[in-house]
Amino acid sequence: MSFSTVSPSTPTRHSFERRVEEHKPSKMDINAVIMDYLIKEGYPNSARKFAVEANVKPAPDEESMQARVEIRNAINAGNIQTAIERINELNPEILERDGALHFALLRLQLIELIRTTLAPPSTDIMPALNFATTQLAPRASTNREFLDDLEKTMALLVFSTETLMPQLSELLNPDLRLKVADRVNSAILRSQGAHREAKIKEWVRARKWSEQEARRSKKDIPARMRLGLDGEEVEEDDDEVMNGNGEDTDML
Amino acid sequence: MPSNQWSTATSTGPSLEKDPLIPSYLRGSRLAGRLQAAHRAKHAASAAATRDNPRSGQSSGAGSLSTSSSSVNLHKPSPASHRGMTHDIIERAAPAAVYEDQPSPLPSRWSDTDKASGLELSDNGLEVRCIGLSKTSHEEAAAVRADHPMPRECGIYYFEVEVVSKNKEGLISIGFSGPKVTLSRLPGWEPDSWAYHGDDGNIFACQSSGKSYGPKYAMLDVIGCGVNFRTGSVFFTNNGNLLGNAVTLPSSKTATLYPSVGLKKSNEKLRVNFGHTPFIFDIDTLVQKERRIVMNEVNAANVSTLTSPPLSENQLIHKLIAQYLAHDGYIETARAFAEEVRQETQALTHGTGVALGMQDLEPGEDVDAIRRQKIRSAVLEGDIDQALGYMQKWYDGVFAHNENIYFKLRCRKFIEMIRRLTELQDAAAGVGPEPRPQRSGHSSTGVSSSASPAFSAKKNAAAHRGVPGTGDRPLSAATDEFDVFDHQMELDEQLGAPPGALQGNGGGAPVEGDWETVMDTSDDVGQGAGGVRRSHSNGYGHGRPVHKDSYSRLLAETLDYGKELKMEFSSDPRREVKKALEDTLALIAYDNPRESPLRELLEERGRVPVAEELNGVILVSLGRPCTSALERLVAQTEVLLGELSGDGGAGAFVNLFDEDEEKKAKEEGVGS
Repeated sequence: MSFSTVSPSTPTRHSFERRVEEHKPSKMDINAVIMDYLIKEGYPNSARKFAVEANVKPAPDEESMQARVEIRNAINAGNIQTAIERINELNPEILERDGALHFALLRLQLIELIRTTLAPPSTDIMPALNFATTQLAPRASTNREFLDDLEKTMALLVFSTETLMPQLSELLNPDLRLKVADRVNSAILRSQGAHREAKIKEWVRARKWSEQEARRSKKDIPARMRLGLDGEEVEEDDDEVMNGNGEDTDML
Repeated sequence: MPSNQWSTATSTGPSLEKDPLIPSYLRGSRLAGRLQAAHRAKHAASAAATRDNPRSGQSSGAGSLSTSSSSVNLHKPSPASHRGMTHDIIERAAPAAVYEDQPSPLPSRWSDTDKASGLELSDNGLEVRCIGLSKTSHEEAAAVRADHPMPRECGIYYFEVEVVSKNKEGLISIGFSGPKVTLSRLPGWEPDSWAYHGDDGNIFACQSSGKSYGPKYAMLDVIGCGVNFRTGSVFFTNNGNLLGNAVTLPSSKTATLYPSVGLKKSNEKLRVNFGHTPFIFDIDTLVQKERRIVMNEVNAANVSTLTSPPLSENQLIHKLIAQYLAHDGYIETARAFAEEVRQETQALTHGTGVALGMQDLEPGEDVDAIRRQKIRSAVLEGDIDQALGYMQKWYDGVFAHNENIYFKLRCRKFIEMIRRLTELQDAAAGVGPEPRPQRSGHSSTGVSSSASPAFSAKKNAAAHRGVPGTGDRPLSAATDEFDVFDHQMELDEQLGAPPGALQGNGGGAPVEGDWETVMDTSDDVGQGAGGVRRSHSNGYGHGRPVHKDSYSRLLAETLDYGKELKMEFSSDPRREVKKALEDTLALIAYDNPRESPLRELLEERGRVPVAEELNGVILVSLGRPCTSALERLVAQTEVLLGELSGDGGAGAFVNLFDEDEEKKAKEEGVGS
């Protein structure tokens, strides 16, 4: 080719990249979305500092965040009983109205009980069994999905940790706490009249989706679009990084 | 008929300030956002024309704004919807860059020119009446098209037509057609035209034989016509009832289609609704449903493949936020966020014995980040001199390559001076009858209007700090003040007021000192005697001597600074610079700039884009990328969505900035 230095895709890439470069989202919009995330997902210190540093108004109402933060922390740490009590203090209707969420919490509580039996000193499975029969079994009898979940969870007691099948060891993964905590947070937000998830979640999904769609409909876009997060920061992440596959299956 | 079909989307009124026509079902959509941005840009340009005579422009501007608030197409409170005046527009650049072109205007009326001679239009082109078919041109029917095609980037376009009067043997056709289709036949009969006919209720798709579709329609019936560009589905409604899919359009992504109607008999008359008034059919819900379908797809996207190695959605978001915070110099927030995420992750490992891949989100030690944050704070507080001082100290030479931001800072300084002048005026004039609610930073001292009447100076000081003016200060007061100023300036010059003494501090440096002294005591003294305050509200009262000095001094400073500004930049040939300079300097001409057409310039939030642009040029000068990953992600998404919506694809239903935008506009409306 006579123009060997120029890659054939250069013109398109230029147009697309140029438009990306020229498009400057408003900082006010971005800051508002970040504040929205800090508030909805419960990062009160960050929200307070951000309100000052970025001059975002109105300043966040930390009180309304506090209960959600405590509940999330309890779930993340595996203290499900505490979390359930706090949720009911806040608004008993949340779990009354959302049986699936209540069941998810109770099952997580069961898993946490089983987890303690798996650790060397304590091998007494009675508390876990009792909990399963009194708390979960009555609810599970009315719902096929609940029952499946319960059975799967009980299987944890039968197998030793080393020989667990992937779908069982998944239950012991702390990621499950995160997912349940996230569902609880959304439910509380809804009960407080905030019907939307944090907007930034939609942004990252829209980014992925729009690229997929554009490729599917054969739009002229570059083969690879970097976010700019790659490179300097990515090497630090190694194999231990949890990946989010399957996350989309339990959308609320 | 006084109409100009090329004017704008707002062809029904002469006012340029009216919001663009946005049918209800398009509110909050990408296209609506683009149309509004384009409208604001246009409005900002045309506002300059009315500005030759500031005082008259002031009243007409306010008037037309208030009338538009009753209009159906109004989407946000008027003042907030006009947020982008000159400065903002230069800054925000709207989503224009995403697209290669301007947003396509929406159909707003029937076209005067794209019309058979047997038709007559009335009511600004919304009504069409048949006056008899022309025999010379062998018209079989008479059709008309709208002034603009249905934009594919709507996703769904919908309009309604009411049959106002119909002849017994009449034949009415409602639908749409391409630009070249003959107007002497009914839409639907010709290639490239589709329509629902009233005499038989049939659907005609590009041929003279129809297919059974819906009920016949006649006088007073309201027929709706909709096109879903994502699916190609064409649907009609009859008196609010959805008739279902009529036909599916060929998959051409480029065809231009205009709403069109055709008539046959004299005196038959139709009236169209392109969104000027509420629709009979609940199209909003239908569009919402479509939007939800698309959003469910969006929300199902698995984002883990956006990065390699893959990150979970949470991790990705954490990283994006942490990087944005560090990048933009929100150091304290970045640290707090890293800490809170760390705690959250640590809790997860509790009792699980699983070591999680902990992300270190802690921002590195970065002296530049701290400096950038200081500079940003100074601008956000309105202390432009401080920011300029820092720039000189730490980033000397950056302005040499970035005159634009230097110019904006210098203008902003002038604006800040005007802001303080208006605050002093308010303080002097006392608190008006209906103080606006105030939530901005000025109340930070916690002093409110509860000062004791015995200390009117303090009261005024309190008002100065805590309560913004109400804009109804008597005109004479200003003139008066200007007169005083003439003498005062000479006096000041003799006294040799130190240049810069009053410059650019958020509260004004020396003034600040005065106020603080006074105010420190005012909290102790003044509770519960607010009623007497009113006695001062019609004038300067006892407070005046105190204020006159500072006011006149500041006024002199401001004028001097304005001259300096003009000298420095008036030779700049660029149009946008000239315009921004003119607008900025014109602020001084207004009796009450906050009620002037230029009031947007005064708003506190105008500091944000200046602060951010300054931060951006510093970053570039440091050899760092000027945008963070999060901004890049948004920009990429916007461009991708632009690609996906231009031809009527699903991207039309995704708007990254929708409801929150509304909420924010509301909040800002209160806060400023």
